[in-house]
Amino acid sequence: MGYEALDFYDVDSLLTDEERMIRDVVRDWVDESVIPKIENACREGVFLDEWRQEIGGMGILGAPLKGYGCPGLSYTAYGVICRELERGDSGIRSFASVQGSLAMYPIWDFGSEEQKEKYLPKMATGELIGCFGLTEPDYGSNPGDMVTKAEEDGDHYILNGAKMWITNGTIADLAIVWAKLDGVIRGFIVEKGDKGFSAPEMKGKHSLKASVTSELVFQDCRIPKDRILPGVKGLRGPFSCLNNARYGISWGAVGAAQSCFDSARSYAMSRIQFDHPIAAYQLVQNKLAWMLREITKAQLLAYHLGVKKDSGEWVPEHISLAKMNNVDIALEIARVARDIHGANGILDEYPVMRHMANLESVKTYEGTHDIHNLILGRHITGIQAFTREA
Amino acid sequence: MKVAVLIKQVPDTTARISIAGGSVDEGSISKWTISPYDEYALEAALKLQSESGAKVVAITLGPQRSSKSLIDAAAVGADELMHVLYEGDAGSLSLQSALAAAVRKSEADIVLAGKQAADTNSGSTAPGVAQMLGLPCVGLVSEVKAVDGNFVATRSTSSGMERVSVSGSCVFAFDKGDEELRRPNVRGIMMAKKKPIETLSPADLGISMESGGVNLESVGYPPEKPAGQTFQGAASASEVVTKLREEANVI
Repeated sequence: MGYEALDFYDVDSLLTDEERMIRDVVRDWVDESVIPKIENACREGVFLDEWRQEIGGMGILGAPLKGYGCPGLSYTAYGVICRELERGDSGIRSFASVQGSLAMYPIWDFGSEEQKEKYLPKMATGELIGCFGLTEPDYGSNPGDMVTKAEEDGDHYILNGAKMWITNGTIADLAIVWAKLDGVIRGFIVEKGDKGFSAPEMKGKHSLKASVTSELVFQDCRIPKDRILPGVKGLRGPFSCLNNARYGISWGAVGAAQSCFDSARSYAMSRIQFDHPIAAYQLVQNKLAWMLREITKAQLLAYHLGVKKDSGEWVPEHISLAKMNNVDIALEIARVARDIHGANGILDEYPVMRHMANLESVKTYEGTHDIHNLILGRHITGIQAFTREA
Repeated sequence: MKVAVLIKQVPDTTARISIAGGSVDEGSISKWTISPYDEYALEAALKLQSESGAKVVAITLGPQRSSKSLIDAAAVGADELMHVLYEGDAGSLSLQSALAAAVRKSEADIVLAGKQAADTNSGSTAPGVAQMLGLPCVGLVSEVKAVDGNFVATRSTSSGMERVSVSGSCVFAFDKGDEELRRPNVRGIMMAKKKPIETLSPADLGISMESGGVNLESVGYPPEKPAGQTFQGAASASEVVTKLREEANVI
């Protein structure tokens, strides 16, 4: 029996015909090209290059961006794409999130005409891969205090510093790097092969194993002056990228949760203990009913946030709530699904432990769970609680 | 050159089918799709499009919901879409006449279709349409190429392969081809929604759906499989061999 996406309230009936067609294309691709290969890719710790090519071939990268060879879809369609990709694996969705929301988006919104024409068409097809350097070894939730800096040197900038936890870093052809120029955060495009730039891969992850995670190191890295993103100064630049990526994650988490539910339901129906399928026992039914309840709520949250993104009537706090809630319940659903699978749940024959391990990262990256609570706390009270300083 | 592809919308092969009152309960079917053999025909048509510059016209006959299969065909590259809108059941001759009239209207040079539909499995449409059009029909085809004004078709079976050539118009009925239907991309999907569908009734084509032919009377579930048999011990070996040979026909 193939995958059946839980959609208790038929939320997908609210999608347009095109959005449903795009969903089906991505869902079929995940069935054919991700599910049969993902466990091996995780064991080997690789992101398959064929995934890059095929995702590029589907034309879904940079989904909501218009022009310059980008798809020009709705934010809702972008969300659906993230959900279907993450049903396969959070690492696959991360690839698309970083490429679209964190690398293509800043060029599209803040780049010069020449930068847009040079990079975006090839990034939309997956021919060029991008990454996004904001987080540093000592500055995660607090990026404003970053130490990476840029200095003018004639018709070049010279970058010094290091970035960490960079998805796609080692395989990227270009990096959007946020660094301080005269104390002001600016975005720079650094290309693979630029002198003084290296991107060693971080090994030993127990999570997102089929995704490339890297450090970015800049040692007197010289880039021409036309590589600065002219359109933005300050944290607004990276934060606008993160808003879009976090929005996609709120959908993606639903896909991971749906996968865990699907596996838990079918396992519970077929696993016989004490002469009956374990699905016949009240404790297991309670768990499945709780999963259904939380997934349905998360779907409605993601869908309505998509409507708001498409109408433009949204604030970042809306995204914080959906990212935080949906990843939180997806992780808990993965844990409960592992529990329903018993000992079998730890095997890679089932997707649940992989999703669980992935979601531990997803809970932390793109604004930790706690930071999103603080964003909401500030929204409710008007009092910021990120720092003890006023 | 213009290539017509006959497409039938059928329940997805993984969909659960329930039967009520001797016919399939369509309301219970969660997903509809292009019949798999028709997909091979469509892929072959799209290859003729890219290799020989053919125009591809996708034709379906069925109720309103079946227009989705035409949009799916457009998403992978069909140039023109024709929907013979007919809600009821009809005999095989009526269906074949209506499809033949649609092909004539499309002015297609050749017709590609699946060898049989995944729901009825009757296998009568392609040869029936060929007969109505007065054209030859090549069955169990896996590939069609345009070569010097002729069409060369490959017919593959487990026992070998043959290549046949046809000098003019023809109907080709597809078996499993070498290549699955290509995956649409987002651009194709967005273009497909702008593509007009020419919707015609059988009457518009001058066809009465009362021509009869073979009518589907009723459908039912297959008989339940008998319980498996177990054998133990070396002494049962000859009985097992006999049963495998004479009952199961596997050795």
